[in-house]
Amino acid sequence: MTLTERLGLRLEPRAEAKTLDRVLALASALLAALILCGLLFTAVGVNPLSALGALLQGAFGTWRAATETLVKATPLIFTGLATAVAFRARLWNIGAEGQVFAGAMFAYWCQSALAGTSPFLQLPVVMGGALVGGGLYAGLAAILKTRFRVDEVISTVMLNYIIVYALSLLLLKGPWSEAGGFFEQTAKVDPASQLPILFDKTRLHLGFLVALVAAALVWLLVRRTPMGFEIRAAGSNLRALEVQGTNKARVILMVMLISGALAGLAGMSEVYGVHYRVKAGALATYGYTGIIVAILGQLNPWGVVIAAILFGALVNGATFMQIKTGVPSALIYAIEAIILLFYLAGWAASSFRLRRIRA
Amino acid sequence: MIADLLETSIIISILAATVRIATPILLAAIGEMIAERSGVYNMGLEGTMLMSAFTAYIGAYHTGSLWLGVLIAMTTGGLMSLVFGFLVISLKVEQIVTGLALNLLGSGLSIFWLRAAFANAGQTPTIPFFGNVPIPLLSDIPFLGPILFDQKLLTYLAFLAVPAAWYFLFRTRYGLELRCAGENPKALDIKGIDVSARQYAAVVFGGLMAGLGGAFLTVGSAARFVPEMTNGRGWLAIVIVIAGLWRPVPVLLATLAFSFLDALQLQIQGIGVAIPYQLLLAMPYICAILALAIRRSRSGAPAMLGIPYWRK
Repeated sequence: MTLTERLGLRLEPRAEAKTLDRVLALASALLAALILCGLLFTAVGVNPLSALGALLQGAFGTWRAATETLVKATPLIFTGLATAVAFRARLWNIGAEGQVFAGAMFAYWCQSALAGTSPFLQLPVVMGGALVGGGLYAGLAAILKTRFRVDEVISTVMLNYIIVYALSLLLLKGPWSEAGGFFEQTAKVDPASQLPILFDKTRLHLGFLVALVAAALVWLLVRRTPMGFEIRAAGSNLRALEVQGTNKARVILMVMLISGALAGLAGMSEVYGVHYRVKAGALATYGYTGIIVAILGQLNPWGVVIAAILFGALVNGATFMQIKTGVPSALIYAIEAIILLFYLAGWAASSFRLRRIRA
Repeated sequence: MIADLLETSIIISILAATVRIATPILLAAIGEMIAERSGVYNMGLEGTMLMSAFTAYIGAYHTGSLWLGVLIAMTTGGLMSLVFGFLVISLKVEQIVTGLALNLLGSGLSIFWLRAAFANAGQTPTIPFFGNVPIPLLSDIPFLGPILFDQKLLTYLAFLAVPAAWYFLFRTRYGLELRCAGENPKALDIKGIDVSARQYAAVVFGGLMAGLGGAFLTVGSAARFVPEMTNGRGWLAIVIVIAGLWRPVPVLLATLAFSFLDALQLQIQGIGVAIPYQLLLAMPYICAILALAIRRSRSGAPAMLGIPYWRK
């Protein structure tokens, strides 16, 4: 007998959760997460409400702050979409982190050969390079899975570690290091290759629009194309795919290529839209945060956009909060994980029904 | 310079380092092996180890006792795996996703806490760390003595955990029930044995072991906490369980193989062979992929690994 049964109750899966139950469960989960986060603030001696106020002010307080939130959201939209596409097919691509690096590195490798040429040549090359770099790196994990039966969770995580060292190899006294530079980074990229800024006196760049277009394309892909049908089928009913005679290995490869290409764009937009250099600090953490963004966005492209903006606001507001209240901005990463854990619990709980059984 | 590597003293030093480096990974891998045997895939090992490494450090710093630090780290690992267990065993949330959430939690919370505890991020205080405890007589054996019997207590514990895990899994009733939970939970259920209780026990044990492993990183060797200091060791432990076919002795051998790579890397850097150090550091991860790609046998995985048990 399990504990619940001793209490005369039994958990049963529900075929279809009622929307109201879902909303209630998720709302209470998020409330619990917020209370726990509030306790963390209290633990470091800061009033949670004033910290929240500072956070909101930093994220949306001014026009510039709001655009900065979108700047921070941009790479998360890309990595969130990348994760959503893969997870929809139940392919656990944990490698967006490394694919972000691969996209940025391949884009840089292609673009640096063209420095000095027209932006109309360089910009497409930058974007194409990012798609190819990220896609190929994820494709490697797909081949490892289909040809060598290496679980994609493991291979993508290992590839995440490997590429960080590969970048360091290129940057530290390597062919990409900035001449006479002290830091592990490339020289600034050609201004003609940089993504145009959308509004004066902000840092919001073309990458944000590209991210929205990518979300629309992913939506179309999943909803409106045969490929999308295969992705959804791979996620829910592999047998149906097999009966239909679809080549499973091909679906896996395609999904990983698309997923990696999307993650690659995150690397491109950070390097060519924000930092104008390739360096590890410009690329790290977006892949892992993208996983949370994808799940909170319910693996839906528009959900991902909303979740990414929310998390962009968190990251952006946290810097201001640190200045104002002294709370380390690293708290944001803990908060993100706490929200995810409670969200998962709330979602699962609303999929159950507690039934009274005869004791 | 390669010839230097073949000198006896160097070989001893590489092998002794192998045993030392193996400690945290072996502890975590044995725990993970038990958890996976019960059918639960704890992918949150990396975050659990990281958080435990941190609490061991901060615990030892505040209490002044290394062993209290270890105890606090084990408690941390146990609690994190209890949260994990609640989500995946009771609520049947996707195990991979929950594990990732745990990793992100460990990473975020440890950095935040470190920054909150010590305002000057550049200079966190060091703590003393465990010294070696040579075993009388045995440590005097030429060659083998300094490699195997002049280590830290936690290292001996990690290596003793291997036969203990074997005995537990294959020679005790509870071990049999636990394996059954991973192979054929329904049979267990029909006999009136609580499947989820076995899984909870296995997962929490895995958490305690990951906690020990994490503690070794700070109070066992580094004397301070550095963000992300586990650096993939938790993931390597998961790879090792797969490569070790979920059996204690092969898991030990796989751990030693990976640790040897790391020890060799340290030594090569030490004597200044001209190989880029990034390549050496990436080696374990490259080898992990290769090891999984070329392994011949694919048996050994518990049949219900990663699949929640629904009582009908």
